[in-house]
Amino acid sequence: MKTKLMTTLIAATFTVGAQAQTGPIRVGVVTPLSGTYAGIGQQVKWGLDLAAKEINGGGGVMGRQIELIYEDEEANPAVAVQKAEKLFQVGKVDFLTGTVNSGSTLAVGQVAERNNRLIATTVSFADSITADKCSANVFRVNARAGMQSAALADWMASTKPNANVFYLGPDYEMGRSTVAAFKSAAESKGAKTVGEVFAPLDNKDYSPFFGQMRSARPTVIYTSVAGNDTVRLFTQMAEFGLNRNVQVVGASGTVTSQNLKAIGSAADGFVTGVGYSTSIDSAENKKFVASFEAANKAQPDLYGADSYGVLFFYKAAVEKAKSTDTDKVRTAMRGLQWATPQGIKTMRAGDHQAMQDMYAVKVNGGKFEIVGKVAAATAIGPDACTKF
Amino acid sequence: MHDQAKPSAQAPSASRYFTWLFFLGALVFALGAGLVGDVFFLRLATEALIFGGLALSVDLLLGRVGLLPLGQALFFGLGAYVSALVLKEWHNSFWLSVTVSLVASALAGLVGGIVAIRAKGVYFALISFGLAQVVSKVVFNTRDLGASDGIIGVPGAAIFPGLTSADPIGFFLVTLATIFGLYCGLTYLMETPFGRQLSAIRTNEHRIPFLGFDPWRYKLLAFVVAACIAGLSGALYPMLRGFVSPELMFFQVSGNAVINVIVGGTGTLIGSLYGSTLLTGLKSVVGSFTAHHQIVIGLLFVVVVIVFPRGLIGYLSPLLQRRLSFRHATGRGGQ
Repeated sequence: MKTKLMTTLIAATFTVGAQAQTGPIRVGVVTPLSGTYAGIGQQVKWGLDLAAKEINGGGGVMGRQIELIYEDEEANPAVAVQKAEKLFQVGKVDFLTGTVNSGSTLAVGQVAERNNRLIATTVSFADSITADKCSANVFRVNARAGMQSAALADWMASTKPNANVFYLGPDYEMGRSTVAAFKSAAESKGAKTVGEVFAPLDNKDYSPFFGQMRSARPTVIYTSVAGNDTVRLFTQMAEFGLNRNVQVVGASGTVTSQNLKAIGSAADGFVTGVGYSTSIDSAENKKFVASFEAANKAQPDLYGADSYGVLFFYKAAVEKAKSTDTDKVRTAMRGLQWATPQGIKTMRAGDHQAMQDMYAVKVNGGKFEIVGKVAAATAIGPDACTKF
Repeated sequence: MHDQAKPSAQAPSASRYFTWLFFLGALVFALGAGLVGDVFFLRLATEALIFGGLALSVDLLLGRVGLLPLGQALFFGLGAYVSALVLKEWHNSFWLSVTVSLVASALAGLVGGIVAIRAKGVYFALISFGLAQVVSKVVFNTRDLGASDGIIGVPGAAIFPGLTSADPIGFFLVTLATIFGLYCGLTYLMETPFGRQLSAIRTNEHRIPFLGFDPWRYKLLAFVVAACIAGLSGALYPMLRGFVSPELMFFQVSGNAVINVIVGGTGTLIGSLYGSTLLTGLKSVVGSFTAHHQIVIGLLFVVVVIVFPRGLIGYLSPLLQRRLSFRHATGRGGQ
């Protein structure tokens, strides 16, 4: 009896799948809707929902509406692959996006390979996704970590030429690799390293490191701590007067809209490299920010903006390919140019990494101001993908 | 926690009914899914069985020895990582990776057991939790193990000539056979003097020395056996999903295994497989309708603990047993 029901159920899902060829285009979204990364997942959802509304309002993609199907991945790759497989197999989605942590993106990329579908990440930073662990089925529309470092290093070289840089990172793998990446970008532009320390994650007191920092006499301090660690580090540095006459720079996740209020004025003057800012001065961005705020009562951040852009990327590719067939869409995506709030982006064919202008932004009175811009071609760096 | 009503000499045992129902039901499911050419449900069921194996190891400790392991994912994750490394870097043989994972889990179980078994009650729970935290953080920060990204690109394991773990129905059956083997081995072990020692330890550990036995040795052996079962189940994970990540060692996995056992029925062994199947299926279905599936699972857990404190099988088994004994008795009376 139970199995009979099961068989009917499975058969039913297959019929639904067969109808999908002429109905709406289904886009699966596997993103963290609960847990630590729920805040990022929220921006992803807001961005996608807005883009789907605008595309559907304008007649859809080749006359077909876009239908978004959400699944919660809990920022856990083991959950993400199961949900992705469900969307591919049972939901019959044509395209999938939304993964946040790079572990999930890599693992879901494999599921896409096995199911012969395409995915795109709008959030994951890890360079490996479009470098040594690249996949023919995975695209990235957001800026990778290397591009953020390049933008920041470029700004540093022009405003503080041949700076003496001191590095302070959180003592775990991601923190160390972020520091290493920026260090090589900065040194290639003439900066000198005067010191390097790694503080434990969730450190309460940074003053033990301050003596070493002071005696190294840096002109620039780079840090890749994040979240509440930034709050403590910055307020303690201000208390000890360590940020006087020193330029503090850092990773894009160091100061975000989430911890900016808690840091307060101690964040002023901090500079980082990012792929998006609400203050980008273009008509497209102003329109995007206005409609995003109207729909969600919140400002978009880089995740919201890139997730908004990914649906237009898929739309452009499907219209170019005149099909939702995986191979045809993949060919169309390679080298594709499409419009986003950040301006025109180009999908590099060699490694499936989007090329875009990068910005150096400075915190001033609780706002991010653009202080520098690096052209897409300079920021992207070499193509390190050898798999396709 | 478990006192199965012992069936009268000739009456068939209720727990055996549930065992056959589970494994035959799984075979029928495989047949049905194979007929309609399904992939997703087969692979989801395989995953449920794999996590069922982990729950089985938790039930051995929790239901049979009375130790609450909050870090059993350590051995599951260890088995998964070792299996992934063997498959990817050495040889894509199912048998080789399973063997190496078993040896590694047994050794880790021995070391972990010597540390953890000395403690009792809540202290044991905390030490096992702590061990898993330490190891998962080390893996999380070790670049050679892929750090936070884990290891992807694990090839399918060659089981027999012509059958790899990439075949949904074939691998489901292999996993089912493995879990069946583990379950049968464990039920047999529980019938041996060793199993009775464990029951005695659970009931009153302080009396064991008076009987001339050293409880520590039996608890350590049970811990190692549990580590092997968890490690073997974990070894199957990368064969199914093609990757491993440090999240497999996190508390979420250990906690879910304990929930699976309690929902299914602590001490019943087969209950942990029912619990895992039920909750894996439920999570997949409920997750599609609401992002608040954690609340649904949490509420279910609370309801089960209040209404069926012995879990589903712990509740149903005595009911069925009474029916069977009654029918058996009346049947015999009619002769």
